[in-house]
Amino acid sequence: MTATAQKSRPMTKSKTRGKSFEPRIVAFCCNWCSYAGADLAGTSRMQMPPNVRIIRVNCTGRVDPHFILEALYQGADGVLISGCHPGDCHYTSGNIKMRARYALLQNLLEQAGIDPRRVHLQWASAAEGDVFAEGVSMMVERIKKIGPNPMREGE
Amino acid sequence: MTTRVAFAQLTSCWGCDQSLMDLHMRLLEVLPQLEIVYWPAVVDYKLADLEALPRNSIHVGFVEGSCRTEEDVHLLNVMREKSKLLVAWGSCSCYGGVQGLANTWPLAELVERKFQRAETITDARVPDVNVPPFTEHIVPNPDRVKFDMILPGCPPTSDNIYDIVVALLTGAPFDLPETTVCDQCPRKREEKHITRFKRTFEGKPDPEKCLLDQGYLCLGFATIGLCGAQCPSANSPCKGCFGPPPSVKDHGAKIISALGAIADINPEELKKMFPDPVGSFYFTDYAASYLAKIGAKKREER
Repeated sequence: MTATAQKSRPMTKSKTRGKSFEPRIVAFCCNWCSYAGADLAGTSRMQMPPNVRIIRVNCTGRVDPHFILEALYQGADGVLISGCHPGDCHYTSGNIKMRARYALLQNLLEQAGIDPRRVHLQWASAAEGDVFAEGVSMMVERIKKIGPNPMREGE
Repeated sequence: MTTRVAFAQLTSCWGCDQSLMDLHMRLLEVLPQLEIVYWPAVVDYKLADLEALPRNSIHVGFVEGSCRTEEDVHLLNVMREKSKLLVAWGSCSCYGGVQGLANTWPLAELVERKFQRAETITDARVPDVNVPPFTEHIVPNPDRVKFDMILPGCPPTSDNIYDIVVALLTGAPFDLPETTVCDQCPRKREEKHITRFKRTFEGKPDPEKCLLDQGYLCLGFATIGLCGAQCPSANSPCKGCFGPPPSVKDHGAKIISALGAIADINPEELKKMFPDPVGSFYFTDYAASYLAKIGAKKREER
């Protein structure tokens, strides 16, 4: 059994690199809405691609653009930020701050020659497991079209 | 014992030398303790003179400017080899400088724009005789060779240079401050709610109030406090030329983070107010940013 597993491993690797590219996406989810939404999507057994690595933050307002740029620098193919709907922030305005930062960041990415669609901001409440799951599916689809992050090559 | 020093200039405006010269009479206090072994800006030295020196024979080497040509790269490597202690002198040397902004374009496009399509050109040609080739993109000097110390600034003020030279001569510690320009700025600050960002030429700024409060993009909040808030004191917004405090890895990211928190503007309008984010947020340190590094990797692959 072990021998077969070892044998099959390199094949799987070349498969992911060659034909189908599997994006690696970092998702920053706020504790009060989207993280609970992601949890709900999971417990409700909703289907979504397994490409997303969720990092829980207390609020999207805590997501410094530095985190996003560093994630891209370390080879993340995409960064998804998911928070409460505007007006619903647990801390009143954290998500509004993120929205303004996101707007400037999109401009910056575009000027720097990096596809701004690699970074996406979405709203999903604690009750919207389906919205979260759909957001993730769309994100994965989008990144698959854009292709791998150049920083990822040569791993 | 005299300290053997060398000053090397790579691609730069030589403004750092100017700032050193501005020490005027105070130079006399330190000059007797220095033995200058290489300084083309003021003494007629050639590269061969520097190359002929034994390894590690310079006590302190100052490197100004960034590597835009292969010759700069060579000079930087020679300086590293000959110096015991190497100081990155000025923002160009620490972070790539204004030249780093060119990293948003591929080299071929830059050369074409400069030598073939510039408005003043009549006989367009790319010089290729007796000139060193260009480097593909600007890489901050500390990413090319090891540096023992950095002193950012565009240029570092005369006082900054005096402090570092005195520290080096006496062996006293010299650490960059974690404070920002705002800590040194004399203006009055209030609660920030900006409804519109103004260009510097719009309106007349109140000389007492914080420039950012008035809607001018003053980057003092994200810029290391070394200059003594020269620009805000002269009623001009900080452009962030000294780069960020040491604990901040990406200057522009921190600026965006702060602007997002204080801007009371809808996202679409906010976008329109900053048509040139790279130029506005990374004036002298784009080459040291994450984005420039990702961009360079992307271009390499093509």
